[in-house]
Amino acid sequence: MTGSRFKEVAGITDTQGIVLGLALLAAVTVIGWTSPSIALDLIEPPYLEEQIAAGVLPPAAQRIPEKARVIDVVGMGRETGRYGGKLRMLMGDPKDIRMIVVYGYVRLVGYDEKLNLVPDILEDLEVTDNRVFTLRLRKGHRWSDGHPFTAEDFRYFWEDMANNGELSPTGPPADMLVDGQPPQFEVLDEWTVRYTWQAPNPAFVPALAGALPLYIYAPSHYLKRFHIKYASAYDLKKRIDAARVRSWSALHERMGRMYRPENPDLPCLEAWCNSTGPPSTRFVFKRNPYFHRVDAAGHQLPYIDEVIISIGSSSLVAAQTGTGEADLQARYLRFDDYTFLKNAEKRGRFRVSLWQRGEGSRLALIPNLNVEDPVWRKVLQDVRVRRALSLAIDRREINQAIFYGLARESANTVLPASPLYRPEYASAWTQFDLDLANKLLDEAGLDKRDSDGIRFLPDGRRAEIVIETAGESTEQTDVLSLIRDTWLKVGIKIYTRPTQRDLFRKRIYAGQTLMSVWSGLDNAVATAEMKPHELAPTAQAQLQWPKWGQFVEEKGVVGEEPDLPEVRRLVELYKKWNISQSPSEREAIWHEMLKINADQAFTIGTVNGTRQPVVVSNDLVNVPEEGVWAFDPGGYFGRYMPDTFWFRGRG
Amino acid sequence: MLLYIVRRILIMIPTLLLTSALVFTIMELPPGDYFESYMAELQAQGEGVDKAKVEFLRREYGFDKHPVERYVIWLTGMLQGDFGYSFEYQMPVADLVGSRIFLTVLVSFATILLTWIIAFPIGIYSATHQYSWGDYGLTFLGLLGIAVPNFLLALILMYLANVWFGTSIGHLMAPEYIDQPMSWGKFISILSHMWIPVIVIGLAGTASMIRKIRANLLDELQKQYTVTAKAKGLHPFKALVKYPLRSSLNFFIGGIGGILPEVVSGAEIVAIVLSLETTGPLLIKALQSQDMYLAGSFLMFLALLTVIGVLISDIALAFLDPRIRLQGKSTR
Repeated sequence: MTGSRFKEVAGITDTQGIVLGLALLAAVTVIGWTSPSIALDLIEPPYLEEQIAAGVLPPAAQRIPEKARVIDVVGMGRETGRYGGKLRMLMGDPKDIRMIVVYGYVRLVGYDEKLNLVPDILEDLEVTDNRVFTLRLRKGHRWSDGHPFTAEDFRYFWEDMANNGELSPTGPPADMLVDGQPPQFEVLDEWTVRYTWQAPNPAFVPALAGALPLYIYAPSHYLKRFHIKYASAYDLKKRIDAARVRSWSALHERMGRMYRPENPDLPCLEAWCNSTGPPSTRFVFKRNPYFHRVDAAGHQLPYIDEVIISIGSSSLVAAQTGTGEADLQARYLRFDDYTFLKNAEKRGRFRVSLWQRGEGSRLALIPNLNVEDPVWRKVLQDVRVRRALSLAIDRREINQAIFYGLARESANTVLPASPLYRPEYASAWTQFDLDLANKLLDEAGLDKRDSDGIRFLPDGRRAEIVIETAGESTEQTDVLSLIRDTWLKVGIKIYTRPTQRDLFRKRIYAGQTLMSVWSGLDNAVATAEMKPHELAPTAQAQLQWPKWGQFVEEKGVVGEEPDLPEVRRLVELYKKWNISQSPSEREAIWHEMLKINADQAFTIGTVNGTRQPVVVSNDLVNVPEEGVWAFDPGGYFGRYMPDTFWFRGRG
Repeated sequence: MLLYIVRRILIMIPTLLLTSALVFTIMELPPGDYFESYMAELQAQGEGVDKAKVEFLRREYGFDKHPVERYVIWLTGMLQGDFGYSFEYQMPVADLVGSRIFLTVLVSFATILLTWIIAFPIGIYSATHQYSWGDYGLTFLGLLGIAVPNFLLALILMYLANVWFGTSIGHLMAPEYIDQPMSWGKFISILSHMWIPVIVIGLAGTASMIRKIRANLLDELQKQYTVTAKAKGLHPFKALVKYPLRSSLNFFIGGIGGILPEVVSGAEIVAIVLSLETTGPLLIKALQSQDMYLAGSFLMFLALLTVIGVLISDIALAFLDPRIRLQGKSTR
């Protein structure tokens, strides 16, 4: 048996790569922590003083777990902070309340700044053969209402939620099934649970660390009152009527939403918990007095007392930010707002930094390999055509003209910030070479042209491509107008057709769209431990091969089986990753998949690493000047730990 | 009269039924449903979607059922006072709309009052001083109100208010007062924010109101009885206000019916631009995201108010103008 432990004891011999990383980091965070002696030096947040004095809250030493997670703020190159202040953020949609969970990024295990997986809520995580996962909680860890956080909360989720037909009509979450088989769940003691699968499940840990996390626990002491198994029929009926829902499962779902924490009564483990009931346009999140992270100087994190999310209209966010109405803002700010924001820096008392966006390509041209038209399908499935189209894009011009030269000219692949990055992936078929492009198209059988210089398809039609966009930004049309000029030089004429997002997808799924414009890989700062689902057909939502993706997603019930050998290989590799045993194996799989994608140009990338303006109040300390703005991994700000941000001179 | 009212009320029932069927059909027409556009939206932002949760909601709200079945469920629910559930906000429609109705009515009433206060004197002046410089000048100003796009004016005023008076951008009050109980400070804050939407929305309505008053009053002023009254030496004010103005107001009373739904929905576009906490943005957003029950129930509510408003107008007209009342009788 190859066993390994994510724990504070260093010097484990049979640890595996990623696990080693985890173990070492865990070691860094926990070593030197002797709870009783430091507990005496804990500094109480003034925000809670009144409640502590009144006896509503116990002193800090009793609020944090026996082994709290110690954040070495100074070691991160930041300043130890001071308590206090309210952090204001602007949002444009009622659903955006989830950003507190995304930005907060409190997970069982999570990615740190260097993309290592580290235990966060968990004290440690022991993985054996990628099959047996033993999760150890922090003894004395409590929910925000002071109730202990224990194995019961995991049992409740697994037995009473995931395996309850009414709450989970589709069964347990997909990432908890291996070949359709659920794990065996055991409670080892009050603070330890174990999940055992028959076969390896490498997707489990990354899913726990996702920006949209796989929740495998729930505040059982609170939710039981809404569960038919635990609540008395009379009470439950009264609650259902009061909430005006149709069933107990709807009530349970509504009250227990952790990713969209609108229910102020729902206990949480986040740094800040909601205190405002909907409907509202201003949600106030107050510090969680039982939060499990502390800094080395004895402050219980977070430093900031309250986070305030105002929900207005998204088009006003830039203007509001410009008048200093936000302390930390990036969402709904676009690169074109940069000059306005820079201009407003003085008046609004903030600074603007430019982070790098985390997509594989700011916008990619995506040929639909499953297009209905049989002639076009054959042409687009010809790798020479895709390569030629990629070669006929002047990426330098796009970068200079539209992104002020601040982007990187690249194929749609991982960014240099990812450990999987190799220059040859980014440069594959991206040099501007019209001669080679013409030669490739001639070879592909499109060698006849009409008097306008437009090539003929094998059936005699002109090679005219309608490129559809979701009609969401002028940036897309600007880039396309540049591409139109250079593609004309290789005898391909394009027309742009803006549609509306739902229609856009529908048409692609049905194979009516020849080519579309969308962003590239969502997660381009991937590590080998993350699922490579974006590189192979795995879902209908993938615009380059919707029908193949649907085939894999629905296990062959609908869709079409991939018929290109390279695509089949990708599916094979993806399946191999899902049962892989070792990090080195996963890394090899990732590289092969990246290589195939780069070489085959299934999607045609333009530029990536474009800039995301991040507005930071002059008073706010510890926000990094540079970072990667990406949902996954790490939830936008999440990986940079907003609980360590603090206000200088605001009480 | 009583019979007339009863008959009118009975006719409202099939009208509303037909409206509800229309509303539901039109909302079903676009491809996909809320959950699809929800997933597409999250994917557009590069975010993940919890598919199991979406599937749960889809089943919970009957999206696996036939549209006709859903229509019946929706309709019977509404009859029992259950307006359905907003997917976007994840809460009952009634609570959601209810939370915004007060501010909406406040803004709308202020707007309507402003429109009247400006339009009446100008309309009367224009009619009595037809083709004078004053008539031209005021009409020009009024037409400017129609011609300038509302949203543009809103943006400009908002910017100026921020630069000159330091009023916070958007919303109907400073952020710190949102969700706070009413207080003097909050009241002042609302007033300092409210004038922008009131002016912007009000100006657009003013011009057409001026033109209507002017035209209707002009008709009356040329009639024999007015000339006679003036010739007999009736006080000029009485000769204007007591007779011609009163009889020219039928259009105004008839328009009251239209005010009722307007008061509740507010001006949608301006409210979105200014990010007001009124019902207008709710409705537009719901239509965009295919949040069926929110949009549908809200439209039905507006339809109901329209029908009631028209009824009220008709009754008021008959009540106020003996000519209509008596003519009605003679033809019967």
